[in-house]
Amino acid sequence: MKKSYLRRALVFILAGTMALSLMGCGGEKESPSRDTSKEATSGEKTSNEETKKEATTGEQKVIKFMHRFPDEPYNSFIEGKLHEYEASHPDIKFKITSAQNQEYKEKIKVVVGGEDTPDIFFSWVGDFTYRFIRENLILDLTPYFEADPEWKDSLIESQMKQYTTEDGMIYGVPFRLDCKLFFYNADIFEQNDLKVPTTFDELIDVCEKLKAAGITPISFGNMEPWSASHYIGTLNQICVPDDVREKDYKPTSGEFTHPGYVEALEYYQKLLPYMTENPNGVKPDMGRTTFAMGNAGMYYAELIEIPYIKMENPDMKFGMFKFPEIVGAEGNQDILTGVPEGFVVSSKTKYPDECVEFLKWFLGKEVGTEQCQEIGWFNAAKGTTEGLTDQALLDGYNVIMESKAMGAWLDNALYSTVVDEYLTAVSDLTNGDITPKKVMARIQKKAVEAQTLVGAGSTK
Amino acid sequence: MRTKKTTPYLYMLPGVFMVLVFVYIPVIFNFVYSFFRLSSYSAGKTFVGFDNYRRFFSDDIFPIMLKNNFLYCIISLIVQVGFGTIVALLLESKLAVKFKNVYRNIYYLPALISITAVGLMFTFIYEPNMGFINSVLKVFDLPTRSWLGDSKLAIYCIIAMSQWQFTGYITLLMVVAFQNISTDYIEAAEIDGAGPIRRALNIQLPLAKEQLLVCIIITVIGAFKLYTEVYATTSGGPGNSSQVLGLYLYQQAFLHDDLGMAAVAGVFIFAITVVLSIIQIKITGSGKD
Repeated sequence: MKKSYLRRALVFILAGTMALSLMGCGGEKESPSRDTSKEATSGEKTSNEETKKEATTGEQKVIKFMHRFPDEPYNSFIEGKLHEYEASHPDIKFKITSAQNQEYKEKIKVVVGGEDTPDIFFSWVGDFTYRFIRENLILDLTPYFEADPEWKDSLIESQMKQYTTEDGMIYGVPFRLDCKLFFYNADIFEQNDLKVPTTFDELIDVCEKLKAAGITPISFGNMEPWSASHYIGTLNQICVPDDVREKDYKPTSGEFTHPGYVEALEYYQKLLPYMTENPNGVKPDMGRTTFAMGNAGMYYAELIEIPYIKMENPDMKFGMFKFPEIVGAEGNQDILTGVPEGFVVSSKTKYPDECVEFLKWFLGKEVGTEQCQEIGWFNAAKGTTEGLTDQALLDGYNVIMESKAMGAWLDNALYSTVVDEYLTAVSDLTNGDITPKKVMARIQKKAVEAQTLVGAGSTK
Repeated sequence: MRTKKTTPYLYMLPGVFMVLVFVYIPVIFNFVYSFFRLSSYSAGKTFVGFDNYRRFFSDDIFPIMLKNNFLYCIISLIVQVGFGTIVALLLESKLAVKFKNVYRNIYYLPALISITAVGLMFTFIYEPNMGFINSVLKVFDLPTRSWLGDSKLAIYCIIAMSQWQFTGYITLLMVVAFQNISTDYIEAAEIDGAGPIRRALNIQLPLAKEQLLVCIIITVIGAFKLYTEVYATTSGGPGNSSQVLGLYLYQQAFLHDDLGMAAVAGVFIFAITVVLSIIQIKITGSGKD
């Protein structure tokens, strides 16, 4: 008799353990268990030292922080600053997660809006964040700025304007300023007696001379199709009048019928013969490395790539010039492609004031000055260049300061289905499988569809 | 000891519960979601009827995806299952008696590597300017291609990578099946004068029929669930030339915030795999003996 009781007891204990572990499966909200649904999280890291403590005691405030810079030295810099803040604010503890560029774009959509929404997270300017704003998931920072005019004045207005909606809602604060410029290898230009081109025709001339000398004129990798979208974004700005383009970029009114869009693609096609061969098979990073190693004359790069280039080849001598003028184009040649990238605060955070206080410090002048000296990125606080000696960085910074207007990255400005069509169609164009007119026909179709899709399925 | 009538059913309960919760109920929910428009972060959902299905079947990418998935299916059946079975037969034959286990382990090793790691590795191998394949071709003065950057070749490159990885897996499964065949049959056939090929065709394969059917079914289902290989290499590019159903589902859910469309893709994949599995089972008359 005793034996059967023992056996029954054992069976119940085992069954109970199984049931408990099942509950654990369902209740666990930590990110590691979610990743099994997506194998491709190669760049993702979770800070393991942070243990989640309940905030109900009122002692420890846990702020979830998500960023998209898991590479070194950026990751160490960010985590270092977060720990520094924790040391000076013992009631605050950060729980840090990160993911690489493309994975971040997908992962953030899973976590935002759920129980595990990060309190502070990275988000791009443009429709990328507008989709969250449409669902009321982003904290409106405007009241905080109005209450603290000193903070408002300490940040560069032209950059803060990017993180402000049409209706005047300030939704984010920049972490790094960025713009797109043509980088050129100073040695190669000197050896081949080349001058910096100021018009598109001069650029083609320079490319011809480089090609004749056996040097790849423009290094370019489009295996990740956002790379070509930077060219197309700039060319759209140059070839299409501002008001038409702004209307088309809005998902509710996008039509893309202006002939300037086709012209932009034709100019891109003119550059293709002078770019890296088979660009669709080359990763964008490889494009940069080719340039850094001195194997190409030019490279259309982001300002924030300067530290990467310096790491890959510290002796590289390079200069920068703006995208050349296209004589007779109908658009705006003064727009500098590039917008700042920064952080937003979730509207569902339990600690809005603490998050804003932290961002005031993290994205302010003191940290900004260290940031540009340590990792070569500028934030939007005024006066961060004191003590900076790197001439390339200073030149780039001045270009941003002097520009009359900034233009958002095409792949974040537009509605996601329109972006997808643009990127895949331009990828086909790069391979010569399609004509510019056919590209725009496909995009026009998607733009019309997007007008009905946007906002549907939301509470508005 | 007398067992109560209800005891077997009690034993079945946990299993049934788990299958219901983790398999059947999600499938039904998925089917329901396919009639709505919602995103992973939206507060509510809108009923759209068959609009998602209309958009799915009228999408220009749809024929491309179907073609790619079917291509993968057919090539995998020929290479993974066909060639894998031949390798298994060779391993079980007199040719490989000495180092049978060594060979078997070598063939199986690639299947142990994470698909993402294999994808990243092959991205380097296929790189048009500095990759392994083009470097070797250049040495022999042969024409080089763009491989993963060529719209016509990208999907074949991905399929080739997958064959390299999983042929050994099928080989292992078939080796186990062949080992379970009693040697009496084979010896008897040898005595009767049957050569190795006749023995394989008339004795070994028919007796391993069930295992072969399992291999065929998992290969076909895997072909329509294909996702990681494409995500880790081209993400459907260049253009949409290497787009597949599994990746489309993922992109609809997380890039375009359209869980309804993702659900439609899920329903479609489910329908295809169920239909094909039923057809295979019926044709081979499996389970009857």
